[in-house]
Amino acid sequence: MRLPLSYSLRSLFARRLRTALTVAVIALVVVATTLFLGLISSLKRTLVTTGDARNLIVMRKGSSNDGSSQLTLQALQDIRYFDGIARDPKGEPIVSPELVVQPFFWRLDGGRENVLVRGVEPAAALAVHEEVRVVEGRMVRPSAGEAVVGLGVAGRYRGARLGDELEFGRGRWKVVGVLAAGGSSFESEVWVDARELANDAKRPLPYSSFRLRVAPGTDADALVRRIEGDPRHALEAQAETAYYAKQAESANTLYALVVGLAVLSGIGAAFGATNTLFAAVQARTAEIGTLRAIGFSRGSIMLSFLVESLATALLAFAIGGAVAVLLGAGVSRALGGIGFGAATFTTNVVQLRVGAGDLLAALAFASAVGLLGGLAPARRAARLRPVEALRKA
Amino acid sequence: MIDLRDVSRIYRRGADEVHALEGVTLHIPAGRFVALMGPSGSGKSTLLNLLAGLDRPTSGEVIVAGERLNELSEDELAAFRARHVGFVFQFFNLIPVLSALENVELPLLLTDLSKAERRTRAATALRVVGLAERADHVPRQLSGGEQQRVAIARALVSDPEIVVADEPTGDLDAKNAEDTLALLRMLKQEFGKTVVMVTHDPRAEKYVDEVHHLDKGVWLEARPGGARTAGEVRHG
Amino acid sequence: MIRFLPLVWRNLGRNKTRSALTGSAIALAIALVCLLRTMPAGLDAFLDEIAKNNRISVHNKAGIVYPLPYAYLQKVRAVPGVVDAMSWTWFGGAFEVEKGVTFPNFAVDPEPLGVVYEDMGIEPAALADFERYRDAALVGRQTLRTYGWKVGDRIALLSTVFPVELEFRIVGAIGQDRDPRFWFQREYLTQALAAQGVEFDQLGTIWARVDDPARVQPVMSEIDRLFRNSEAETATETEKSFFGNFFGSLQGFVTIILIVTGLVALCIVFIAANTASMSVRERIGELAVMKALGFRWRMLFGTLVLEAALLATLAGTAGVLLTWAVTSTLGRLAGWSPQLGPLGSFIATNAILVEGLFLALFIGIVSGVVPSWGASRRSVAATLREVF
Repeated sequence: MRLPLSYSLRSLFARRLRTALTVAVIALVVVATTLFLGLISSLKRTLVTTGDARNLIVMRKGSSNDGSSQLTLQALQDIRYFDGIARDPKGEPIVSPELVVQPFFWRLDGGRENVLVRGVEPAAALAVHEEVRVVEGRMVRPSAGEAVVGLGVAGRYRGARLGDELEFGRGRWKVVGVLAAGGSSFESEVWVDARELANDAKRPLPYSSFRLRVAPGTDADALVRRIEGDPRHALEAQAETAYYAKQAESANTLYALVVGLAVLSGIGAAFGATNTLFAAVQARTAEIGTLRAIGFSRGSIMLSFLVESLATALLAFAIGGAVAVLLGAGVSRALGGIGFGAATFTTNVVQLRVGAGDLLAALAFASAVGLLGGLAPARRAARLRPVEALRKA
Repeated sequence: MIDLRDVSRIYRRGADEVHALEGVTLHIPAGRFVALMGPSGSGKSTLLNLLAGLDRPTSGEVIVAGERLNELSEDELAAFRARHVGFVFQFFNLIPVLSALENVELPLLLTDLSKAERRTRAATALRVVGLAERADHVPRQLSGGEQQRVAIARALVSDPEIVVADEPTGDLDAKNAEDTLALLRMLKQEFGKTVVMVTHDPRAEKYVDEVHHLDKGVWLEARPGGARTAGEVRHG
Repeated sequence: MIRFLPLVWRNLGRNKTRSALTGSAIALAIALVCLLRTMPAGLDAFLDEIAKNNRISVHNKAGIVYPLPYAYLQKVRAVPGVVDAMSWTWFGGAFEVEKGVTFPNFAVDPEPLGVVYEDMGIEPAALADFERYRDAALVGRQTLRTYGWKVGDRIALLSTVFPVELEFRIVGAIGQDRDPRFWFQREYLTQALAAQGVEFDQLGTIWARVDDPARVQPVMSEIDRLFRNSEAETATETEKSFFGNFFGSLQGFVTIILIVTGLVALCIVFIAANTASMSVRERIGELAVMKALGFRWRMLFGTLVLEAALLATLAGTAGVLLTWAVTSTLGRLAGWSPQLGPLGSFIATNAILVEGLFLALFIGIVSGVVPSWGASRRSVAATLREVF
């Protein structure tokens, strides 16, 4: 026979204080771990969702990122009509030449950060970066002293709201629109007209990189080889997604750190749970003896205690998970996003969001704590011999 | 030695009021071995607690060894007990993590004696109850009867005037029960202690000077005990 | 209270499993708190180290990545109050190409270096070599440790900013233990670029030493005034402000770390309190007996709190030792991480370890108080009624 679920649950709630304390311990650990997990996944999400698998990024050979690359107008003109580059309905190549600069911006709380400003040809940029959409206002017009800001930027820096005037570089720029980009790093950027930016930054060469769409059905590798093999310029090309994925690698160390943290704290929490359950077993020795005398098997006793332990952990997960989600959103909003220094010297504004994946990981984590923590006491309960147990009563 | 005058004790249990004792007046002279007997709920344990300074009456006076217990504060009662009263309980007598010797030594931790003096006295007390060779054993290693003897040694070690025992034989078999009662008798006989014992045990009557009967919180009567009428009970 | 120590100690051994489990949990939690604390502590330590000097930085007002004309250097040198000034320019060199830039490396002017950075602890012999050999390099101790380099080694860096790869010879070490910087001669870079037909007449940032702390503010204003309304306007600030801003964006991460640290500390309180309450619960009868014997409630309260505190402190010691062991092992990697800068510190200072210990003690006391209070205050008679 199997002991009913209600036995386990009611036993839990009979000792309210002990259960509450154990739940609190596991819940706290769940919050801590989930917050960190959420932070790193949000960072990874920012870096990895950036980039369209159909696009290539072309930079000067040897640059590790488009901030340090410099390209000539001639290079643009030479490669834009290569075979294999997609064309729009009018027959124009879908190529976006871009200039990347990292001026100072001032945070609302007074601190100073480098922000990535991308000089673009407005129509071309939106065509190549399909994930980027103008969600408020409109795109910039060429030579109008205008700027559009990413979602992460709008709430973090002075003068970055729609309608405000942004000060950076040597000039003032009117914010005419807000960009959304599926949470990718484009949302940490400000876009302006490329020529105006080159002027303002006094760049000798007009561009940093080109982004282009590979024509459907084309062998992307062949196109890459063609671009890199061109003897007139020293260029390198790679898939946009590969480019950003490399930058995401920096998040891996952080991920390892978080996992280490989770394991350590999980072990501690498991010990706490074990303690409580051992005490429960001790207190209920007579009860267990009676159950065994009646005829419940050892397995059923063990299962019942494991269920109790698991239930504690799951309750803790429910509470801890909810708190983590709220806390994460609250902190993120209060700070205007969490800043991470990207490899490009600029700040990636990460909106801390505890996502479904993080909660799932937290659920697995809490369950592990509950099961492992309850194992030893459950075994002890199962091993009690009825006669001795009843005598102790 | 012990005087109770019109003592009542009422306490709350949940929403109810329990009248544990009502208007009890009695007198126990020094050096007497007294048994308090009566059915469950008669108030005998409450009475014991009051004269031992473990509890305060709701009304009335409790005068023991010259002290008005009903007027003493918590701390003063604690000091009183440490100085004047020895305790033997039915359960939970001994601290399980301490050895027999250390258990006996416990009351002496409240005095100014040096460690060596404490140890000597404790050892002497253990010898009196015949357990000198068990000094280093922990309670788990002692039988029920031996544990009670350690408790009695502890009750003796600070040389109090009074020893109170709450159902000391309740958990013991016949032989150990008799041994315990005989030891308590010895406390009165050879050390001149006033011993007050709450008990159900019919065997107890043989050993005591006086038996007080209570029922439903009221003191009924006192009759002479077996020791008074039948002379000394020799234990072989 | 000392005479009660044997009793308290024995009580801890009453349920060895429970004490071990609780102690381990607390030890782990304390270790976690200490490890987490090394991170912002690393940042603070870095900023404090550099706060004490009169060095100021001059960079383009628009941003650090905007260059300044090299000619500015001479003009800054000429400002009254400036002892000497040098420039540094970001080279962005990668040692292992796939890993990208893992430590900051710059092209600098060798001659003023000794004066501007006299607090850097660079050996005079190394400085002399740096000026003498065109391909000389001075490397921060952190980077030397990370890659196991020694003075005399030759290493190459591939620039991700300039179209060159340069080979260097290490002539000396700079800075304190956690300094990751890599400096080489500007002239070396200029020549390499000239060989490719590229003119190099710009610099990244100018660093100058001011003679008197009281003159820092006016000197900074003077420098900015010099270049106002010119092609490249400057913004001058102290070194501390410079790095403070540089790492300012890590503030969010630091906040999260602090929150998590607080959560873990709270955890410890609950674990310890749970255990204390269980232990006390089981001993209600014994406590009543001791009270009967004449032990005052304050004494009993004291022994119970002492018990909780003792367990927590022993566990805290274990946790602190664990921290020390982990950070010592991380050794090579500790001090500076490419992603987090000085935040990726994991260097456990004595202050952190001692504070961890006190945290454990404090928590032990706090967690012991609540369960013990009720238990020691219970009246003996009431307990005896309930238990017997």
